[in-house]
Amino acid sequence: MVERQSPLEPEFHVGSHGNFEHGVEIILTETRPGSIVQLAAWPGEEKALISAIRTVTGLALPDGAGGGLSDGVKSVFGFAPGKFTVADEAEGLAAAFAKVVTPAIGTVTDLSHGRTAIRIAGPKAEWVLAKFFAIDFALPAFPVGAGRSTTHHDVFAQIQRTGADQFDIYVFRSFARSFWKALCHASEEVGYEVQ
Amino acid sequence: MSPRRTDTGGRIDRLKTIRFTFDGVAYTGHAGDTLASALLAKGVTLFGRSFKYHRPRGLLTAGVEEPNALVTVLKGEVREPNIPATMVEIHDGLVAISQNRFPSLAWDINAVNQLGGKLLSAGFYYKTFMGPVIGPLKGTRFWMVCEHFIRRAAGLGSAGSAKDPARYERMNAFCDVLVVGSGPAGLMATKAAADQGARVMLADLEPRFGGSANWSDETIDGAPASDWARRTVAQLEGRDNVRLLPRTTVWGYYDNNTLAALERVTDHKEQPGKGEPRHRYWAIRANSVVLATGAFERPLVFPGNDRPGVMLAHAAERYANEFGVLPGERIALFTNNDSAYRTAVALKKAGAAIVAIADVRTELSAEMRKLAEEVEAEILAGHAVVATEGGKALSGLKLQRFDMANGTLTGDARSIHADCLLISGGWSPTIHLASQAGAKAEWNAARQAFLPPKPTQKWIGAGAFTGSFSTAEAIAEGRAAGLAAAGGTGTPTALPIVEAVPGDPDPAPVFEIRAKGKSFVDFQHDVTAEDVRLAHREGFVSVEHLKRYTTLGMATDQGKSSNIPGLAIMAEALGKPIPEVGTTRFRPPFAPVSIGSLAAERFGDLKPERLTPMHDWHVANGATMYSAGLWYRPMIYGHAGETVEQAYVREAKATRESAGIVDVSTLGKIAMQGPDAAAFLDRVYTNMFSTLAVGKARYGLMLREDGLAFDDGTTWRLGEQDFLMTTTTANAGKVMQHLEYFLDVIWPELKVHVTSVTDEWAGAAIGGPKARQILASCVTGTAVDNATLPFMGIVRGEIADVPVMICRLSFSGEMAFEVYSGAGHGTHVWEALIEAGKPHGLVTYGLEALGTMRIEKGHVTGAEIDGRTTARDLHLDWMLSKKKPFIGSAMMDREGLIASDRLELVGVIALDNRPLNGGAHIVEEIDEANPHGSIGHITACCYSPALGKHIALALVKGGKARRGTRAHVSDPLRNRFGPVEIVSNHFFDPEGTRMHG
Amino acid sequence: MLITCPYCGPRDVIEFTYQGDGNRERPDPASQNFEAWNAYVYDRLNPAGDHNEIWQHSGGCRAHLRVVRNTLTHEISSVAFVRGDHTSIARRKAEGKS
Repeated sequence: MVERQSPLEPEFHVGSHGNFEHGVEIILTETRPGSIVQLAAWPGEEKALISAIRTVTGLALPDGAGGGLSDGVKSVFGFAPGKFTVADEAEGLAAAFAKVVTPAIGTVTDLSHGRTAIRIAGPKAEWVLAKFFAIDFALPAFPVGAGRSTTHHDVFAQIQRTGADQFDIYVFRSFARSFWKALCHASEEVGYEVQ
Repeated sequence: MSPRRTDTGGRIDRLKTIRFTFDGVAYTGHAGDTLASALLAKGVTLFGRSFKYHRPRGLLTAGVEEPNALVTVLKGEVREPNIPATMVEIHDGLVAISQNRFPSLAWDINAVNQLGGKLLSAGFYYKTFMGPVIGPLKGTRFWMVCEHFIRRAAGLGSAGSAKDPARYERMNAFCDVLVVGSGPAGLMATKAAADQGARVMLADLEPRFGGSANWSDETIDGAPASDWARRTVAQLEGRDNVRLLPRTTVWGYYDNNTLAALERVTDHKEQPGKGEPRHRYWAIRANSVVLATGAFERPLVFPGNDRPGVMLAHAAERYANEFGVLPGERIALFTNNDSAYRTAVALKKAGAAIVAIADVRTELSAEMRKLAEEVEAEILAGHAVVATEGGKALSGLKLQRFDMANGTLTGDARSIHADCLLISGGWSPTIHLASQAGAKAEWNAARQAFLPPKPTQKWIGAGAFTGSFSTAEAIAEGRAAGLAAAGGTGTPTALPIVEAVPGDPDPAPVFEIRAKGKSFVDFQHDVTAEDVRLAHREGFVSVEHLKRYTTLGMATDQGKSSNIPGLAIMAEALGKPIPEVGTTRFRPPFAPVSIGSLAAERFGDLKPERLTPMHDWHVANGATMYSAGLWYRPMIYGHAGETVEQAYVREAKATRESAGIVDVSTLGKIAMQGPDAAAFLDRVYTNMFSTLAVGKARYGLMLREDGLAFDDGTTWRLGEQDFLMTTTTANAGKVMQHLEYFLDVIWPELKVHVTSVTDEWAGAAIGGPKARQILASCVTGTAVDNATLPFMGIVRGEIADVPVMICRLSFSGEMAFEVYSGAGHGTHVWEALIEAGKPHGLVTYGLEALGTMRIEKGHVTGAEIDGRTTARDLHLDWMLSKKKPFIGSAMMDREGLIASDRLELVGVIALDNRPLNGGAHIVEEIDEANPHGSIGHITACCYSPALGKHIALALVKGGKARRGTRAHVSDPLRNRFGPVEIVSNHFFDPEGTRMHG
Repeated sequence: MLITCPYCGPRDVIEFTYQGDGNRERPDPASQNFEAWNAYVYDRLNPAGDHNEIWQHSGGCRAHLRVVRNTLTHEISSVAFVRGDHTSIARRKAEGKS
């Protein structure tokens, strides 16, 4: 299998950067999931789709807008009414879903190449993200597992909280390098490490 | 040198010496000093020259409202003008200079403006620059010459032109309660709200929290107020639910409790920390807001009230108690209210002699008389200051008996020797944010002030902001406000006990002493009481007009010190009470805001940009990149020594002769899935798509609802219910929104999902006579011959072990294919195609060659689909289906849209063999002297290697009928005139034999 | 200004795109009633007070919302998905809600 090229490559510098002498408070990395798919249910078919997600991933989605969860390998969250993003370390998620999401339930769109997943973690993750997005990152407002759709200027982003101080940000591939550079820049004041 | 540093007291650190320069002179100060306090301590009294008259000016205040002492701070090449010296915290290496003086602050040539004061009165510019002048320099032209010099003489600091290397950031914040102002009211509110468990933010524009507690001589719970404030802040600092923002000015109050604030993060540091921004722009969304912004003391208006050495009473208290600086040794006070007596007590305690207290009131309370006696000051009740003496510093003042009832002055003037005159004209609550939030302020006759209006948004006021000027009231109101803002009820515990100098909060209604000489209302803009009356005499009766005509309360001051005195004088002139005259609405920003903080991270290198999967390959292989919207695309792949034209001509020629390849990944791509996708496409496009076979593509045209052309592109049927729509690069976002709108709002019954997959696919278009051969040599899993892959056919296969989708379609007019692969494999496939093309002379080509070949073919793009053209104008009427309605079909046949003289697409050939220019006009007759008679314009142009001519596409009136006729290009801007021939837009291979093969 | 998206919660207005007057009624696609088309494409209400508007949460879930906004105060009295809105415009008009 031919390896996928990361859009971040020339700007992806492993190591500590910025004001790190006192220790890094941010860890940045690209999670490079093997598959990213978007699922969308026809009105009234949301439950059937959620059950299809459970069949394929084993993840039981909680109720409610933006609900989601992650088991560290597979992640799923709602980002719009009846619409979900699912990511998996392994490839082939779209094909797996195509078997269970029948045309009567909804549609499956493979975005494995089209979205880049960037992970930001550390005690200052909320602080750095607040520089970009006008949404409330505090834990009570944005619980672990949940997803949010928002934008930073023209950069559309889906964000899933995958830990108390860890977020996975899905951005359009073409914007990924530009966003990554901005994220690194914004992390300089607290010190960051690229892994 | 009368001002001096006291030996003890104040919140400065006398053990830490800071070195800085002002106007090139080296000074020292202490940690905790502002530029104002440090210079004042060194005996500097002259801080600036006034706006119009260049009068010497000193410190009037100690805070953000300072109108006189505006300085320019230099950091390397960057200069920041108009910063109040009272807001500049000194640090080692600080370089500040004074403004609006030439050649020096002490000796200013333009001070002669004072002698011609009448010339520069209210409305000077309006009157001056309109009048006719007789002679050769008549009219405004003469004044435009003069204006240059006048503007140079009248003004504030000048902005620099060096690039600002500082970092600016934007922060988004959310909280339950935002407290603005950290005086006793703000601190109590913060504590009360935090105790309820609310998420609280506290912002104060000063570096030190505490507000008046930092300089009042009061005690709270038995300790000095400043100690109480420090203790309270220390308690708040340790709490997770409290964010403290010192040096943060909340400058805007917008809808839905969205507030804007500016945090000055590193201005007070010699060097910012690594990655630390200079300023942070905070966008704060607060559930509720506590406004504890305090009050501004007002000056009194009397002749010579602007002389250095005249200062607001509380400012002197601040300098003495907060910074350990005495503004004078022999101090006189002039007041219309009780608060100045407290000042007298404080300054006496700090070591100054209080020579006299002049009070416009005849009846003084026993308490005030007692205070005056305590400070050993002579009481001059029923007196007013009518003049001040001295040059660049105060030496004395003159007083007369004053009758408050009618404003008359009687008796002989009496002189008093003093080096400092402290004035107090009462207090105005700082209601700016409440006013911005949307409601009208209400006049309170007792306080002689505008009080905050009833909230129209979720805010609660506390302390001096509400007109409650005592600390005890501030503490009680602050706690209540914090509690209410957090939605708590709380059990009433004992409030901190305040010990303070007593005083009546209500001033006498005296704003101006009318005597001979210039009496300043707005110090910053040099607006005098007489200017206000002049404006009235000239017919300005509305307060909004008054403001604009006299410039009262404009610029950085925004009426902080001048608002009420100005209104009072206007009201008197109008013979109306102040509330009937009304006040101006305060607008954001409350205080000046750096432009950098607003631009923040969108600026420069951090501007979002979009890169195609093959971007790095293009750059590594000599492409000159070109920004197209947010995208970066290769313009040309130039060889050494080639011009842009030579490069694109070579690329286009090689493509038509053998083969060329271009990155088309930027085309908008939308996955359209669902059982109703075909039906939806029939409604969206002017032509039919439901009849399209799986595995085939079709060119489609979309109209807007009003019948004009919107966008074009090919749509591929990948499955029965699965389409891939492509759009132009520029319109991808707009088309997506268009589709979503119709699916969500107009036809919710259609089962169609649309998803942007632009970034999922890398696209390479390979075209030319050798294109098929090249593909055949590298594609596996499918044939690419005419039978398997006919024109507009789609096949799937592999290139270099990567799955690809190939559609045979052509923009260049050649036999061409678009090869799509997963974006992460884009470069891999691209390189494989390049490798396969090597034996066949394959070239890479950029946007210029792409444009050239499309012009030769007469294809339209956004330059022609410009929002004004119809399908017919572009000769695309063959695409307008008559079998079905579609978006725009009902409106496209309107009279004006089918008129015969509309601009229609044509081709244009330069007959003089010279280059044409986009935007140039087409005319029937050339008239170089007086260009006129445009019949259309050029939309795109190039040198065509296929034709060996300079050609263009143009939109020309009745264009089709003009084919074969001559016209002229008229481009006066670039001085390009010449004959052209109008032809069909299909210059090259109009039958399409090349692409059909 | 904040708009409370029924899916995403309160969000800054910067995330939304105004998509026009929500009182317009699109004629039947095949309709040749030119007056009706003209009214749909060009006629807009401009009330001083509550206005029925369509906004897209373009920087979020991308759903279209029916927003009733007071043009004098910016106060938003209701937000709902357009898709979930089963009341026809004509009926809303009859009920005096638009």
